[in-house]
Amino acid sequence: MPNVSLWNSKRGTASSSAGAVHQLVPRLAWGDAVGNQVRYLRDLLRGWGYASEIYAEQWDEACRDEVRPALDYARDAGRDTALLVHHSFESRLVPLVAKAKGRKALLYHNVTPERFFEGTDRHVARGCMLAREELLQLREHVTHAWAYSHFSVEELSAAGYPDASVLPFAVDWNAFNVAPDAALREQMADGCANVLFVGRTVPSKRLEDVLRVFTAYQRLYQPRSRLLVAGTLYSSAPYDASVLALREQLGPDRVVFLGRVDAAQLSACFASATAYLSMSRHEGFGVPLLEAMYRGVPVVAYGAAAVPETMGGAGLTTLSDDPAQVAGLLAVLERDPALRSRVVEAQRQRLASLDQQAVAQRVREALTPFLQGAAPHARPPAGPAATVVCPGFDAAPDAPMSRLARAVVDRLPDASLWTVRRQVLPLQLAPRDEHEGVTRVRRFTPDEPSFGLEGVSPPSSSLETGVRCASGPLLFAGAGEEVARRTVSRLPPEACVAGVWEARRAPDAGVKQVLGKKLWELTPGRDLVSLAAELARELDVGGHPHAR
Amino acid sequence: MRAEDLITRDPTVEAVLESLARLPTPEPEKVEALRRRLAATQAPAINAAWPPFLEGARLKRDARYADPPSSHRPLVGPALVMAKRAFRLAFQPFINEALRRQVEFNEAILDALALIHEHQRVQARTQSLWRQEVERQLEQLLSRLPPTPQEPPKEPPRRAPSRRRGR
Repeated sequence: MPNVSLWNSKRGTASSSAGAVHQLVPRLAWGDAVGNQVRYLRDLLRGWGYASEIYAEQWDEACRDEVRPALDYARDAGRDTALLVHHSFESRLVPLVAKAKGRKALLYHNVTPERFFEGTDRHVARGCMLAREELLQLREHVTHAWAYSHFSVEELSAAGYPDASVLPFAVDWNAFNVAPDAALREQMADGCANVLFVGRTVPSKRLEDVLRVFTAYQRLYQPRSRLLVAGTLYSSAPYDASVLALREQLGPDRVVFLGRVDAAQLSACFASATAYLSMSRHEGFGVPLLEAMYRGVPVVAYGAAAVPETMGGAGLTTLSDDPAQVAGLLAVLERDPALRSRVVEAQRQRLASLDQQAVAQRVREALTPFLQGAAPHARPPAGPAATVVCPGFDAAPDAPMSRLARAVVDRLPDASLWTVRRQVLPLQLAPRDEHEGVTRVRRFTPDEPSFGLEGVSPPSSSLETGVRCASGPLLFAGAGEEVARRTVSRLPPEACVAGVWEARRAPDAGVKQVLGKKLWELTPGRDLVSLAAELARELDVGGHPHAR
Repeated sequence: MRAEDLITRDPTVEAVLESLARLPTPEPEKVEALRRRLAATQAPAINAAWPPFLEGARLKRDARYADPPSSHRPLVGPALVMAKRAFRLAFQPFINEALRRQVEFNEAILDALALIHEHQRVQARTQSLWRQEVERQLEQLLSRLPPTPQEPPKEPPRRAPSRRRGR
């Protein structure tokens, strides 16, 4: 993994305290999480006495008065100017960041993995893919990097931002104190149990799973129930059309797609809701979950990506996506008032740590080294040690592939074994080396908590990013796994890469084409020791296998 | 639900599981009907490839670059090919700019056609599922009906006397 080298001229010069701190965002939207965060930071920076403006390439009409064109930044910036670059999608602003004077830092909101959009929106899928490319390109232009969750920090760390840390997410709670729309509230107050979901209709939010869970809830537990979906829905978009079709196929009653709602209507939705349901598969930080908590609505959420971290042990986070089981959680919240009140109270306590004053103080502490021009810690560049990528190792350490991977690592100096973490933690930690005996193991958080049949590992964005940035020889112990398929064609041409596969999970044509003759099959009964020695010889840069 | 599938600090996982256990057990017929419905509506694996009927058009969507120049003339042919190549090399930036909007239109129309294709596929699947569901419910209804008693074979109706008057 490449290490960010010292504070150099590309990233701006180390100097005294910044005179102005500006922000650069690809698009400033009204009401979305990134836009709200950008505006909050601007106000905070101005409150601390810095001149602060927002620069964007595109913006909503409602934001016209508070934004400047991104191209003006090069003209406005000086040597004592600091720039916070927000990154959440393809921006094409890397050349501008590279050319701009002054010091720069990255604020990473996370990028939705492209796999969610494949087959539904090719343009967005490509944009997500390019956004991850830009994340790697930005490394050499910024001195500091933050993300809004440990889950995202893990990916930054894997991408070669060694000092990346968490910046507390600031939520403007006052914005939620809006009187509910009386007409909508009256409409919903007909004795039905209202299950609410708020969010954009994109494949990663898995609205189809929300529909499945609600159907199970209505059929098995509460016939007098209603599903409220607040968020833009276009019948002309492929994914949205499939969601509408699924509603027809499942046939639940009282499913209401409200479309884009204003603040008063959203208040009415939360005021009428019995429970908030999220089955999202990817969240960099889930603001609607916190909004539901703030408004006293118990939350049931699928524990993917940064959701367990956002929930912080409050609400009911489930690692099962079985509709009947999740429907059971909705039912207990409705039928057990004591349990419901305990959930709501725990949610309130969770929000206490996100108090605005405390968050503002923590944001200031986090940003101070950057604003004062302190140089990041120097780190020696990582050597070209071999990496063995075995996603299933943590889930099944005694499987033949896992034992082979371990045997290869043990034969190579400084080699490490990268795997997908089996256990989902409420708080993800940046991947770091752990030792299992003499084997150096690095565990990456999966994007989704469920392991498939036969121990098939869920995808992990951090692992994929880490593999793309690996500096030494690589062995895919499981060349048929998703991580090999996604990364092998994007590795540098000079990379030394090999793979080994099992018959139950054969590599696809793309992997076979790239790896060519450097692909071994692990057949049942094959001698693991001799195969490990052969693979270690292939990976060892100096050509001298090393026995520990 | 298994304890390891739940993350909650307060109430504890055990308290939630106890509350779940107190829920009334849903009727087996309802559970079975739900299981069948959920299984029937499981979306097929997403196919990221273009629909085959659009593949040909997709390969030709970029109108800026034509096929490699060629000529059937035996003697002047090579000179013509060279001239064509030189022309394209010199004017390619202008060709690109002139055809940029055409390429954008081609891509947009291909996306629209792919979307219509997807809509049709989803609609067909929805209708098929509805038909299967209706047939299944019809069968259930018919099976619940009491068996109809055997009616005695009816005699063929006697022919009524003709009202026609003979002329």
